[in-house]
Amino acid sequence: MNETIGLYIDRDSPLHRLNPLTKVVFTICIVILGFISPWAWITFAIPVLILIPMSFWGQIGVPYLRALLKIVVPLALILLVMQSLFLPGETTWFRFWFLSVEYESVERSLTLVSRLVSMTASFILFLFSTHPSRLMTDLTRRGVSPIVTYLFISTIQLIPLMRTKANTIMDAQRARGLETEGNIVTRSKALMPMLAPLVFGSLVDVEERAIAIEARAFRVPGKRTHLTIVPDSQAQHLFRIALIVLTVVLIGVRLWLSLTS
Amino acid sequence: MAIIDIVDLSYTYPHTNQPALRTINLSIEEGSFVALIGANGAGKSTLCYTITGFVPHFFQGEFHGTVTIAGKDLKSSELKDMVTTASLVFQKPQNQISGTKFTVFDEVAFGLENLGVPREEMIKRIERALELTGIAHLAERSPYALSGGQQQRLAFASMLAMDTPILVLDEPTSQLDPIGSREVFEVVERLTDEGKTVIMAEHKLEWIAAFADRVVVLDEGSILLDGTPDEVLTSSLLVENDIGSTRYTSVARAAQEQALAPQNANLPISLEQAERFFKQA
Ligand SMILES: Nc1ncnc2c1ncn2[C@@H]1O[C@H](COP(=O)(O)OP(=O)(O)OP(=O)(O)O)[C@@H](O)[C@H]1O
Ligand SMILES: [Mg+2]
Repeated sequence: MNETIGLYIDRDSPLHRLNPLTKVVFTICIVILGFISPWAWITFAIPVLILIPMSFWGQIGVPYLRALLKIVVPLALILLVMQSLFLPGETTWFRFWFLSVEYESVERSLTLVSRLVSMTASFILFLFSTHPSRLMTDLTRRGVSPIVTYLFISTIQLIPLMRTKANTIMDAQRARGLETEGNIVTRSKALMPMLAPLVFGSLVDVEERAIAIEARAFRVPGKRTHLTIVPDSQAQHLFRIALIVLTVVLIGVRLWLSLTS
Repeated sequence: MAIIDIVDLSYTYPHTNQPALRTINLSIEEGSFVALIGANGAGKSTLCYTITGFVPHFFQGEFHGTVTIAGKDLKSSELKDMVTTASLVFQKPQNQISGTKFTVFDEVAFGLENLGVPREEMIKRIERALELTGIAHLAERSPYALSGGQQQRLAFASMLAMDTPILVLDEPTSQLDPIGSREVFEVVERLTDEGKTVIMAEHKLEWIAAFADRVVVLDEGSILLDGTPDEVLTSSLLVENDIGSTRYTSVARAAQEQALAPQNANLPISLEQAERFFKQA
């Protein structure tokens, strides 16, 4: 079984070494920035001018670009075309067969898609460069409930486990003569008998998992300690405050602009 | 002084009719190593759950009798009071994995973090536990990427590090080879030398004969036999109840049946005893 940890890509880079909270704040601010920007091209510029260079700084440039090209760009293009065609508008830009594309609908779909792109691109960069257990250790230390931590990490762990389990069940079903390969119809037929043991098995797991963490003093009250030390610095603290202040100011400016215009 | 005291314990799991434990009376001295044996479904795991408080605090159901663990009354205590007194290594090792950690080292740390053990001491305890269970070289691996036997060692290490006065091991060697099993018994011996009390459900009678201070036999939820390995493991009741006997005992018994050995000689449970037995013959 491969040891994948969510989307995390292990590197020893300055981006990876940043305190997770710094990255959380940065990601949220970037997303907000994308949403309040009055022009779509600014929002589109965020991934190109900020996130992609940052991914190279974090030594994950190549996989990051690959993820953008494989997931974000196709999704953006599909949405862009659909929205431009079907959102209503006033001024016809051009006609194509029986479809007409209006100027306003293109503009609106560009705004929407640009936000979506900058948002997913920031999340992917965050997930690629932040080890989930470092993130959660840091957040618990800052007062987030350990139950939240538990739910978050065990969900990440669950995905590869479910995949292994699904494969085991598929092998077993195949050994009993069930068709699991071939066209989409045979494959979806094969899915049904797999689902029941997978879901039922996972329900049984829940009780077993509960008893496992009970046995490890999960519910013993009192102060917890942490094996991993997640470093933070005064500089990062100031950087986070500066980012938050900047974002709040920009939100204010945007509100003021839209109220006065 | 008895660290575990069980008086008239009967217990039935929810939604079942048959009690899993029936009128158990058992008192265990501090620092001793007690082996629990019995056929499948005899109630070994249920008794392990009781000593660690999972019965009746996790598995509800019908609970009668008085159980006192290290001076605490089980029924009026809570599970969170019990976990610092008695730790349990589960029968299925994959059930022991917390699911919150990505390496073996961090996994062992999980319980210690919850207990608030200072970091320096935590590291010392983890290193010792990994060393004793022979998985120090796997420290950076994912707990889910281990074999069954390695997960079993990890489960043992995780409980060992919690450093409770009582350790309950439910078939901790089921997925280990003979060398691995021997290592577990050797660690247990060290623990009891340090004053810890160990209760182990186990099928490997040769190892029990060599290491345990006392053997308790369960049969359909009741205690069938209770005594030293010499007394219990040579009893014909074990064979009658499909629990079996050590290979030394079986061979010697067969020799007696064939009238190749004196009928009144004590049956052996170890190699040395077997040598003596057959010299007499
Ligand atoms: N969670 C449960 N719910 C209901 N009944 C249970 C549960 N666990 C065990 N039992 C029942 O209680 C009885 C004793 O089971 P227990 O698991 O304690 O036996 P065991 O000696 O550990 O067996 P094995 O050697 O198979 O591990 C059995 O009849 C079993 O079916
Ligand atoms: Mg059992």
